[in-house]
Amino acid sequence: MATQEELKKIILDVLPDVDCVIGWGPGPEPLCASPYFMRNPEDVDYLLAGPASVHNPALFLPEYKGRKTGVVVKGCDSRSVVQLISENLIRREDVVIIGFPCAGVVDASKIAAKLGPYGEPGETERAIFDKDALNLSLGGKELSIPLSEILADKCSRCKHPGAVISDYFAGEAADALQVKDDFTDLAGLESLPLEERFRFWEKEMSRCIRCYACRNACPLCVCRDHCVASSREPHWLAQANGVRDNLMFQVIHATHLAGRCTGCGECQRACPVHIPVLLLKRSLGRAVEQLFGHHAGLDPESRPPLLTFQMEETNIKEREW
Amino acid sequence: MEASSKFIARTALAGWLGELSARFRVWAPRREGRAVLYRPFDPQAPEDNLPELDKKPTESAKHIIFPRSEPLINFRRKRDPEHPGQFLLDLRVPEAPGPSLIFGLPPCDARGFMVFDPVYNGSGTDGQARDIYYLRRRAAALLIVRSCSRTLSTCFCNWVGGAPDSAEGADILASEAEDGFLLEPVSSEGAAALDSGLLVPADENRLKAAQAARDEAKKTLKPAPDISGAGKALLERFEDAAFWKGEAAHCLSCGICTFLCPTCYCFNVTDETAGANGVRLRSWDACMTPLFTLEASGHNPRQDKAARLKNRIGHKFSYYPELHEARFACVGCGRCIKSCPSGVDIRRIVTDSVGLTQSPKPKAAPRNIPGGKE
Amino acid sequence: MPELALKPAFNPSTPNPYLPQVATVLEVIQETHNIRSFRVRLDDEQAWASFSFEPGQLGQLSLFGVGEATFVINSPPTCKAYLQFSVMRAGEVTTALHGLQAGDKIGLRAPLGNSFPYNDLKGKNVIFIGGGIGMAPMRTLLLYMLDNRRDYGDISLLYGARTPQDLSFAYDRADWLGREDMRTVLTIDAPAEGWEHKVGLIPNVLTEMAPSPENAVAVTCGPPIMIKFTLQALGKLGFKPEQILTTLEKRMKCGIGICGRCNIGEKYVCIDGPVFTYAQLQTMVNEL
Repeated sequence: MATQEELKKIILDVLPDVDCVIGWGPGPEPLCASPYFMRNPEDVDYLLAGPASVHNPALFLPEYKGRKTGVVVKGCDSRSVVQLISENLIRREDVVIIGFPCAGVVDASKIAAKLGPYGEPGETERAIFDKDALNLSLGGKELSIPLSEILADKCSRCKHPGAVISDYFAGEAADALQVKDDFTDLAGLESLPLEERFRFWEKEMSRCIRCYACRNACPLCVCRDHCVASSREPHWLAQANGVRDNLMFQVIHATHLAGRCTGCGECQRACPVHIPVLLLKRSLGRAVEQLFGHHAGLDPESRPPLLTFQMEETNIKEREW
Repeated sequence: MEASSKFIARTALAGWLGELSARFRVWAPRREGRAVLYRPFDPQAPEDNLPELDKKPTESAKHIIFPRSEPLINFRRKRDPEHPGQFLLDLRVPEAPGPSLIFGLPPCDARGFMVFDPVYNGSGTDGQARDIYYLRRRAAALLIVRSCSRTLSTCFCNWVGGAPDSAEGADILASEAEDGFLLEPVSSEGAAALDSGLLVPADENRLKAAQAARDEAKKTLKPAPDISGAGKALLERFEDAAFWKGEAAHCLSCGICTFLCPTCYCFNVTDETAGANGVRLRSWDACMTPLFTLEASGHNPRQDKAARLKNRIGHKFSYYPELHEARFACVGCGRCIKSCPSGVDIRRIVTDSVGLTQSPKPKAAPRNIPGGKE
Repeated sequence: MPELALKPAFNPSTPNPYLPQVATVLEVIQETHNIRSFRVRLDDEQAWASFSFEPGQLGQLSLFGVGEATFVINSPPTCKAYLQFSVMRAGEVTTALHGLQAGDKIGLRAPLGNSFPYNDLKGKNVIFIGGGIGMAPMRTLLLYMLDNRRDYGDISLLYGARTPQDLSFAYDRADWLGREDMRTVLTIDAPAEGWEHKVGLIPNVLTEMAPSPENAVAVTCGPPIMIKFTLQALGKLGFKPEQILTTLEKRMKCGIGICGRCNIGEKYVCIDGPVFTYAQLQTMVNEL
C-alpha cells in the first residue's frame, strides 16, 4: 500500500488550495467503500484507493464547477474527467487531477457469485484486500478469493490503468497497455435474432423501477435535473412503469451518450435490479468508434462526433444508402 | 393459540401456494439473476417458480399494494351532440382488483404497510380523505411473513421497533423449522388460510426448532443505539447547512432508496393520453428528485440535494413520528444502504444527528475496512 | 390469538377523493396580460345545490390530458352563482387552462384545505395587504366580509402590483375605491402616466398607512420577497405574529395530505393550510 501512502501525501499538499479532494473512503459495509470528500488533513487518513474504489469520483465534479477541486482518479475515472473537460462541462483549471496506478476494481456481482454457497455479501464481517486476493470472514469462516476472479469486466479491457491526464501521480506512471477490446460482452446477444434480442430487453426492462440511478451515476449525464424522463414539456415518456417506457428511457440515455461514454460502467453498477444497461452504451460506443474513429475521454481537445458535423463524413456514405 | 399452528414441508410449498391461487393472486419472492423480486406465482408451473426464501428480496413488497403506476381515472372526451364543437367528459374509476396474498415477505416489509396505513386511511380521522385505491388492495391482501433466519450487516430493524421474527402486520408468521416452515396464524384471516390438507399440525420438535432458529437470527443483529432523540435532534439540525451538505456530499439524488423502501409512500399524478382517451396515472415519486417540489414559478423550496436528503430523513425520523404515534417511518430493512451505489447510510445520518457518531470519521477502525492494513 | 394485523378496513362507499366533479366554465375574464379568471359551476345540479366552502379553501382544477393545479376559490361563499379561480400563466397546466373558453368542461375537486378564521375575525379591524396574484386568495375573505359588513370592524386594503396593467379585479376595484365602509389604497412600483394612486413598494406604503395593531389582524399574500419585507414592516408597526395571517402556495398533487410534496416539516400545506398565522410559521421548519 505504498501508493496509498504517497497519495495521502499528495492530497495533504493539494488540500490547502482546493475546496475538497474527492476520493474514496470507508463505506457502510465491509465490502463497500464510498465516495469520500476530504476537506481537513485528518480526513485524509481514511483514504482508500484500491480494489474497493469502484465509484467514479468524476461524477461529482460538475457540482463543484467554478470551485477548485481535487479529484483522485483511476484510469477509467480520468477518462470521464477528460470528457467533461472536452465538453466544457468543467474547466481544466478548476480541477487538480491526482492519478495512481490502478490494479483494477472488484465487481460486487462476481463476489456475490463466489460467496454463493457460503452466504450473502451482506453477511461479511470483515474484508481485507491484499495484493492478489480478497480475504474475508463470513459466518465464522475465513475465505480468500483471488482478485483476478472478481475484477470488473471493464478492467480486463482497460488500456489506461493510470490516469490519462494528471497533475500529480502517485507511484510509477506506465504506458498505455496493448489490450484489444473485442466487445465479447456484446457477442452473445448479437448472435441472437432480432426478435430474441428484443425479448431479452423486454425481460430485463421488466425489472426496471425507474429510479434513474443509472442516469444519476453517469458522470456525463449532466442534465439530470432537466431530463426528458420526467419532463412534461416535451412529454416523451409516460410515467407508466412498463417495459415500453422503461426501454425508451434507456435508449434515449444510451443515444445521448454515444461517442461520449467512456465505458466506466457506473450506470450498470448502480442498477439496484442488475439490468445490464452498459451493453446498450457499449454497442452505440462501438458504432461511433467504427464510424468516426473516435474514442471518448482520451483527448481534452477533441469533440464528440455527434456534437459536431462535417459536410462530408469519411465513413458515412449517404449516397450509397 | 399455538394449537392451531401448522407445518408445511418445503416440498409441499408449491402445492399449497397453488391451492391458495384459487382464492388469491399469489405473490412470492423469485430470483431473477442477482435480483430477488416479488413476482406473481404461476399455479400452472408451480415447480418452476418456487419462492426464493434464502435471500432477502432486493425490493420491498410495497408495489403489490401500491403499484409503481396505476390508473386513478380513465377519461374519454366525447363530442357533445347538443353543442357541436364542445366536448363531454366521461370519467371512469378502474374496478377493484381481486384479493392478493404475499408469501414470504420479511417482517420489515409487513411493518412497512403499517407506516402507509394511517396516511392512506385519513389518519383514522373522520372527514379526512381516504385513499380508496390503496385501502381496497390492502384490506384484501393476506400477508404470510417469513421470519428471518439470518440478518445482513445492513439490517437494523431492532433500531426502529422491529425484530427478525416480528409478527406485526402479518396474517401468518412462517418460520424455518428443519425441512419446512412452521406456520403460526396471527389474524383470523390467516387462521382461515391455514385450513388445507397439505398442512399438518405443528409438533413440539418443530415448534422448538423454529424458536431456536428465530433466537439465533436475533443474536446476529448488533445492539441498537438509542435514537429516541432523533426527532428533536433533526429539527435542531434543520438549519445546520454544513451538516447536511456533509451528509449529502456523496448522494446521487436518485430514487433507489425511495423506491426500494417499504415505507416511502410519496407519489406523482400525471395525465397520459392517447388521442381522445387517456389515463390519470398515479406513479411512484421520490422526494430526492428536484422536480418533486419545483413550483411553476421556478421557485423550489428544496433546490439542492442536501435539502432533499434532509427532508427524507426528517420525514422518517421526525415529522412522521410526530404525526403518527411516535412510530418511525423506517422499518430498518437496510435496502437503501445495501443498494445505494454511493454508500449513503441512513443509520449513520441518524446517529450523526443525535451526536453518537461524527461523519466523515469512520465508525470502524481503519483495519476493518477494505483496502485497509491488517 | 394476538390481533397484530390491525389492517385498515375498506368501506366500499368511501368517496373517491381523486375523482373530480365535472364543471362547466361559465365565463373567462382577462385580468392582466398573464392572469385570467374562470367562473365555473358544477354540472350536477344536486352537487351544486349542496356545495359549500369557507373563504380561503382550495380547489383543484383539472384539464384531462394535461393535469391538475391548485388555486384558492376566490369568490366568496356568499356568491351562489359560480366559483371563481384566478390563474397566472406559468407552467404546463396553467398555460392549458388559459386556453379554456366559456362552455368548456373541466374537472373540479373542492373544497380542500383550511380557511381563514373568518369567525374569529368578527369585531376586529382587518387590513389586507396583497401583491400581484396574491390578491386573489384574499379576495374571497374580503368579499365575504363586505357581504357581512356589520360583523367586522374597520376594513382596509392595500393592493399593489408592478404596473397599473398588472392589477387584477378591475370590476371589484371600482366598488372598493368607492365604498365608504372600507379604505382602499392601490400602489404600483414606479410612476405611470394617468395613475392617480400611490407609487411605491408595498411595505413602504404600508408603513406610511400605519395601521394600528390595536384589535387588528393583517392578512397578507404575495411574492416571497414582498412577504418578507411586509412582515418586517408589520412587526415595526407593532403587529404580533399571531395577528398576521397569510396563505401559502406549494407544488401540490393530491391535495389531501398523502402524496407528500407540500410539507413544511410535519405540516402539509394542502390540509393544515393554506392559511397559517405568522406565529405558526415561526414554529415550523424554515423551508418556504
